[in-house]
Amino acid sequence: MDLGLKDKRAIVTGATRGIGRAIAERLTAEGARVAICARDADAVTEAVEQLGGSTTGGAVNVRDADEYKAWLEKTAEEMGGVDIFVANVSGGGGMDSEKNWWRCFELDVLHTVRGCEALLPALKESGNGAIVIIGSTNAVEYFGGPMAYNAMKAALVNYSSQLSQFVRGEGVRVNTVSPGPIYFEGGAWEMIKGTMPKFYESTVRKIPGGAMGTPEEVANVVTFLASPAASLVTGTNLIADNGYTKRVQL
Amino acid sequence: MSKQPEHETAEIRGTPLDKAPDPDLGTEIIAKERYTDAGFMRLEWERMWTRVWLVGCLERDLAEPGDYCVTEIGPESILIVRQPDGGIRAFYNVCQHRGNRLRPTGLGSAKTFQCAYHHWEYKLDGSFERIPDLDTFPQGGPCSGLAEIPCDSWGGFVWYSLNPDVEPLLDFLNVIPEHLDPYNMPNMAMTRDITVEWDCNWKTSVDAFNESYHVQGIHPQLLWHLDDLNLQIDCYDKHNRYLLEFATLSPRVRVPPSIPEGIKLVMKQAGMDPADYDGRVSEIREDVQRYKREHGAEQGRDYSTLNDQQLTDDYHYMIFPNNTLNVHADDYWLFRQRPHASDPNKMYFDIWTFELVPDGEAWPERPEHKQFKHGERSIGLVLDQDAENLPGVQAGMNSRGFRGLWLGNQELRIRHFHKTIDDYIYGPGDKPEGAL
Repeated sequence: MDLGLKDKRAIVTGATRGIGRAIAERLTAEGARVAICARDADAVTEAVEQLGGSTTGGAVNVRDADEYKAWLEKTAEEMGGVDIFVANVSGGGGMDSEKNWWRCFELDVLHTVRGCEALLPALKESGNGAIVIIGSTNAVEYFGGPMAYNAMKAALVNYSSQLSQFVRGEGVRVNTVSPGPIYFEGGAWEMIKGTMPKFYESTVRKIPGGAMGTPEEVANVVTFLASPAASLVTGTNLIADNGYTKRVQL
Repeated sequence: MSKQPEHETAEIRGTPLDKAPDPDLGTEIIAKERYTDAGFMRLEWERMWTRVWLVGCLERDLAEPGDYCVTEIGPESILIVRQPDGGIRAFYNVCQHRGNRLRPTGLGSAKTFQCAYHHWEYKLDGSFERIPDLDTFPQGGPCSGLAEIPCDSWGGFVWYSLNPDVEPLLDFLNVIPEHLDPYNMPNMAMTRDITVEWDCNWKTSVDAFNESYHVQGIHPQLLWHLDDLNLQIDCYDKHNRYLLEFATLSPRVRVPPSIPEGIKLVMKQAGMDPADYDGRVSEIREDVQRYKREHGAEQGRDYSTLNDQQLTDDYHYMIFPNNTLNVHADDYWLFRQRPHASDPNKMYFDIWTFELVPDGEAWPERPEHKQFKHGERSIGLVLDQDAENLPGVQAGMNSRGFRGLWLGNQELRIRHFHKTIDDYIYGPGDKPEGAL
């Protein structure tokens, strides 16, 4: 199936490693032109080099609204427009400080909202504009306690659906992909496997598919939703978790 | 070791960082019988334990005249007593009449020490107070009272020796006071006082703390908390140490996407909020050092005698023969490993932990001593991991199928430890061919 991604222009945040990186790779493999950002300049340079082709990148702290917006606008201009925006940066877990709420609010929610608002003019102009927000199964399933991370991911699911109705008439689709536990080298679950092996093992046992997902498997789902091939799909929260969550989704 | 951060000022000397030259201790197998043989245990007792300085108790536990501590080493029991003149004396805890123990193990306070058997009574200085029916002893009373042994203080501890001709304590300790005085250990309050009975030789336990090679084996979680590979090992005359970076990642693991929990804990203890931190994981260690340097005084924590590395890192010392110490800016742990009275396959593991009491805060109540057998209670995740292996190691030392200890460079301190024991047992450089 041709996804229709050739020469599409995509921006992926937080894409030097893990899920974001796999999304950038998959989009590139499908013929899209990709721009990435992350905090660490060395990591961005290395990722851009490895992604190859027309990939560009910027060292951006998305908590800095001005810096982030300036990079998005500059990148949109350099690419001559934007067809796809993947909001992937996240603040991660933790409930040991009230600051976690501010951190996840800024890194998960505001980074997504700011990115969408800055890029919507270009996405509308595209005619095939697609936003994919990276959520988490933590938004819909108990995980690790009352963490800001979980609540802010839930906020993103709601924002994504609301936004999808709001902009569909102007040619933009908005979807969320909620991965379950995803294992990769240098990822959170690799550290959890080493530091909390019992928790890691009990989590794997809850996955009827028998294994955590890979960033590539998430990237496949994201890439499809971001592509014109998914032209009918908007406002959905697509769970990609190998059966980790137990609820019945109607 | 890592580079010195630029802001370190010249006047902060801290604990010396100089690398001591590595001794050439060869690559020979260490004989397993040293851990299991009753004959070798006797040699250790006669030529080593009875010649060295040993940690007896906390000086702080003997605050008032008459306060005393009874501590045990091998088959002996020692009574350490605060004197009316403020000094401290140590005696064998043995009544000179029929040999009864005067006091049970532990802390107490007394005006005199009266034997429970025939009520022979001794003054705090060990001399006789009263012998009932003295006139029925035609030979009179013994000419002296309790058998006294050398005792002295350093580091907040009372030390004693079973060797009447022992060298001065500070000579025995060698570089240790210069290295550890900057921590001001007497200003740290005891937080745990536990003795665990372990089914292993006392050296099996000492060995378990004198190398970082085992971290990847039994403490995988610590690989996201410390650098177990790039550490500095220093061997001195009897004692040795390693300097190990905390609040950093082991080169054995990949950089994770978020701050590991162990490193978050270090940040929180310093007063930083990890949720507010935007730097890289690799920058945290030095940022914590900077933060503590800047905010220590306002937290009532005086770090002025410590160098920057000491504000985060683990300086691990072995004070020969049986004390291993993890020393940090805000706390330290002393593990005292004591041999069993007669069985080379058993020992006592004393856990003494201490925390800095910030200026203006009340000195916390001393914890009560607890004693139990291995496995009866948890002693914390990391120590449980250490303890879990030891009975199996000791059983293996007794196996016909085990050839002896095959040590690598990361275990240099274990070789140095055995060399020092040999120096006591056989005389420096005089170990006979084929001796254990």
